[in-house]
Amino acid sequence: MMIKRLLAAVAAVALFAPQAYAVEKIEFWTFSMKPKFTPYFNAVVASYEAQNPDVKIEWIDFPWDVIQTKLVTRIVARTPPALVSLNVPWADEYARDGLLTPVDALLGEARANYLSSALADLTFKGRTYGFPMYSNVAVIAFNTTIFKQAGLTRGPASLDEQLAFARQIAQRTGKAGIAPALSKIDGLFMQQGLSVIVNNKAVFNSPQHVALVQKLADTYKVGGLLKESLFAEDNFPAVIDAYKGGRLGMLLAPPTAMQRIRSDARDIYAITDVAPAPLGPTGIADGGWLVHFAIPKGVSPGLLPAVGKFARFLTNDDNQLAFARQASVFPTTIKAAADPFFLSTPKNAGAAEKAVAAGAMSMNHSRTLYVAGIDDYDELRRSLVKAVEAGVTGKQDVKQALDQAVAIWNKKLATLAPH
Amino acid sequence: MKPVHRRTLQAWLFLTPALLLLAAFSFWPVGYGSVLAFTDYSLIRETRFVGLDNFRYIFNNEMFVSGLKNSLLFLLMVPFVQIGAISLAVLVNNRLPGIRLFRAAFYVPVVTTVSVVGIMWGFMFHEQGALNYVMMTLKLVNAPVGWLSNDSLALFAVMFVTLWRGLGWYMVMYLAALQSIPSDMQEAAMLDGANRWQRFWKITVPMLRPTIMLCSILSVLAALKAYQEVDVLTQGGPMNSTFTALYYAYDQGLKHLKLPRALAASFVVSLFCIGIALLCLRYLKPKHR
Amino acid sequence: MKIRSRPLKTRLQLIGQYAAHYGVLCAIAVICVFPFWWTLVTAISTEGNIFAFPPTFWPKAPSLENFVEVFNAIPIWSFFKNSVLIAVFTVFWKLLLCSLAAYPLARLKFRGRKLVFGLILATLVLPSEVNFLVNFITITQMSLVDTYTGVILPNVVTAVAILLLKQAFEEVPQDLIDAARVDGASEWVIFSRIMLPLITPWLATVGILTAVESWNEYIWPSIVMSKPDEFPLSVGVLYLRGTFGSSTRVVAAGTLITIVPTLLAFLFTQRFFMRGMDGAVK
Repeated sequence: MMIKRLLAAVAAVALFAPQAYAVEKIEFWTFSMKPKFTPYFNAVVASYEAQNPDVKIEWIDFPWDVIQTKLVTRIVARTPPALVSLNVPWADEYARDGLLTPVDALLGEARANYLSSALADLTFKGRTYGFPMYSNVAVIAFNTTIFKQAGLTRGPASLDEQLAFARQIAQRTGKAGIAPALSKIDGLFMQQGLSVIVNNKAVFNSPQHVALVQKLADTYKVGGLLKESLFAEDNFPAVIDAYKGGRLGMLLAPPTAMQRIRSDARDIYAITDVAPAPLGPTGIADGGWLVHFAIPKGVSPGLLPAVGKFARFLTNDDNQLAFARQASVFPTTIKAAADPFFLSTPKNAGAAEKAVAAGAMSMNHSRTLYVAGIDDYDELRRSLVKAVEAGVTGKQDVKQALDQAVAIWNKKLATLAPH
Repeated sequence: MKPVHRRTLQAWLFLTPALLLLAAFSFWPVGYGSVLAFTDYSLIRETRFVGLDNFRYIFNNEMFVSGLKNSLLFLLMVPFVQIGAISLAVLVNNRLPGIRLFRAAFYVPVVTTVSVVGIMWGFMFHEQGALNYVMMTLKLVNAPVGWLSNDSLALFAVMFVTLWRGLGWYMVMYLAALQSIPSDMQEAAMLDGANRWQRFWKITVPMLRPTIMLCSILSVLAALKAYQEVDVLTQGGPMNSTFTALYYAYDQGLKHLKLPRALAASFVVSLFCIGIALLCLRYLKPKHR
Repeated sequence: MKIRSRPLKTRLQLIGQYAAHYGVLCAIAVICVFPFWWTLVTAISTEGNIFAFPPTFWPKAPSLENFVEVFNAIPIWSFFKNSVLIAVFTVFWKLLLCSLAAYPLARLKFRGRKLVFGLILATLVLPSEVNFLVNFITITQMSLVDTYTGVILPNVVTAVAILLLKQAFEEVPQDLIDAARVDGASEWVIFSRIMLPLITPWLATVGILTAVESWNEYIWPSIVMSKPDEFPLSVGVLYLRGTFGSSTRVVAAGTLITIVPTLLAFLFTQRFFMRGMDGAVK
């Protein structure tokens, strides 16, 4: 028995050893790309394989709610895919747990091609962990009829103006002015330059934070904020419905939303105008959500150069431009983001085209806003959102509510090792 | 070799493959998992013993604690399931025309895979889905209810689906038990003038007692271990309100690769289950032959 | 029927009782069956708003194009083939190993019998669902991730199957066995030539129950398999929903394709299920 096995092993080695070069297999994963983008990715794969005959690319797409478990399975089995699509909060957690491979070396000179804001999103503790793919940025769409009724002539230029306009709209037209996603109040704080956590302590009960929430509460009181789903995890369906129904003055959304308005509510679309979303004092535009390709830990070091080469190809200017055009998102390379497709608006541009241009202008200011470095962050966010809800709806004094939430956060943060 | 010994050897040979697999996949996980729950098991560095750290973490973690509470809430279902199943069993324990069809209809949810159940009930629970239509037509509610998107309701929606799936299974158990009740006792009671109700309570129910005990225990254990329905219906949402203790273990272990915490959570669930099972065995033993 | 021979008042009472009886049965049957009906209607219709108020209870513009779409969109034949493979091998190994284990417990006296029996009963007490984490780690250490073996192995031996088959063996008359032993047959021959053929109905029962259970298993295969092409149907149908979330009709069609085999198997083999339950209750 042993001899037979030995012979078989020798034969195998003899057969395969003299091969000049082995075909390298690269498996890359995306999420939520099928079926719409199947032709796009198949084309990218085919074009790369044609140029690199010694590489075989396998593309697998997963629903976004499943890709994390599949990735973890393969990492545990020590057979991870070479590249995997992730969003920034996921990448932050995996990088923290040592499950991603830094890609600084593989980015090399191509680094300069990417938007600095995108790379900043992917840099944790001084090392970069991904190849930026696409992102988004919000624009403000406003209902010009409602604005005229309220005596407003242009889009708001800051959060304060947004809230002031909203109050004006409510008072003069009885309609809601704006519908911020208050379940993401942490991102709002950060965009306005108010940190949520400093030195491992929650600080969102400072006077500035309280003032911000108070402004929201005042706007809410006069009906300036849309009441439906104001604090829901995902208030977007309710918000866009309200805007399409002519019940909302301003809509903060990515440019794709304009297309939906165009197809579902032509009359409102016709009276919609668009302006870039106001940058906060931090110079960060709202609505950033970067998706990128990361390299999991466990990919064999010998394969890394080939993986890097493919990743750079996958996220180069041409491919990003083609994808962004198809998907109505924004590319994250400097050249692609500056492409005339985004920046120029045709003569009779409707809101959708203007939105794309407005967004493109803000792309380099687009950062994914989230609170990094904390496991099970959602449970903390929940207590913050509940406190803000109590304060904004007037059920509780704002400072009191925030103080309580800060206490809850600090209790949990004290048990965590500082990052 | 004496025949007795040879038989022992042969018996063990027969048993070995099965016992090996049972050892590897039923006993080993319980033992090894319990040990690992006290370590910081990780793939990228050496494992160290950390005592109660993992447990301290999970019991301070709202997701796990509310998950544990939810698992205990699932226990509320047990009486409903059992009473429902017994009632159904009684209702179908006859030879009425078409009764076979009804039995099959009640059992169909049991033989449907969880993923399909989740998809179908996802349709039913949709804001513009059939359930809301019925509720609104019957004027029970005025506006569409977000069964799976409202964090106060979602858990009950998940519990309902678990009940829906389980009813038929227990019904069949009770049906089998009912059919093994000797009919002469019922006939004697009828002759004595006992009406339906009295016969049910004085004869049927006591004879069903072992089955009721068995089914109740199984139901309790199933409620504590519920997590698949959560995965296919809500993935723990909205706002983590449908987490159960074991779903927490699944989520932490296989989505976030935080294995020590996941193992600690599953250890807690195991403790509950084994504890309840042992309690019941002690309580039940004298009654069993 | 005894109704006709009774006086009118009692007759009406009886009819009322029967009506109520059937009424309750129908109401519950509707709750049990309606989701399937809705899915069927949605899968077959090609027009109309899926989530319209009031919902469509009857197919509109029926056609099979949603089913065709499913076949084109996802590798559903692969899913089907995978489910079949997994089910067949699970049934085979389960029947083999569990009957091998049940025979000594039923018919042989040997040292340690009580212990083994106790161990097997003990697994009934252990919360098996909880084991998925460690079993997953074990499977990865055996390099069985992304293999059907990894999916099948933990499920092959279960206490319930062993106990059912043990009961089956106990029903075989002892004199057959004694006669064979007197003839000098080895245990293996007794087992394979005499015992197994005699318990065929029980083997069929366990086999069918196992096949259905394996076909329906969702969480373990979804943990072990990570390549969509290798998913069984129960996992693949969720992949379908995840990918085609917005095409409800296509998802409905895929769902039907998944459950039709189980439903058919169930309808034709109902008595096996009921018999399995009988055995379990004992």
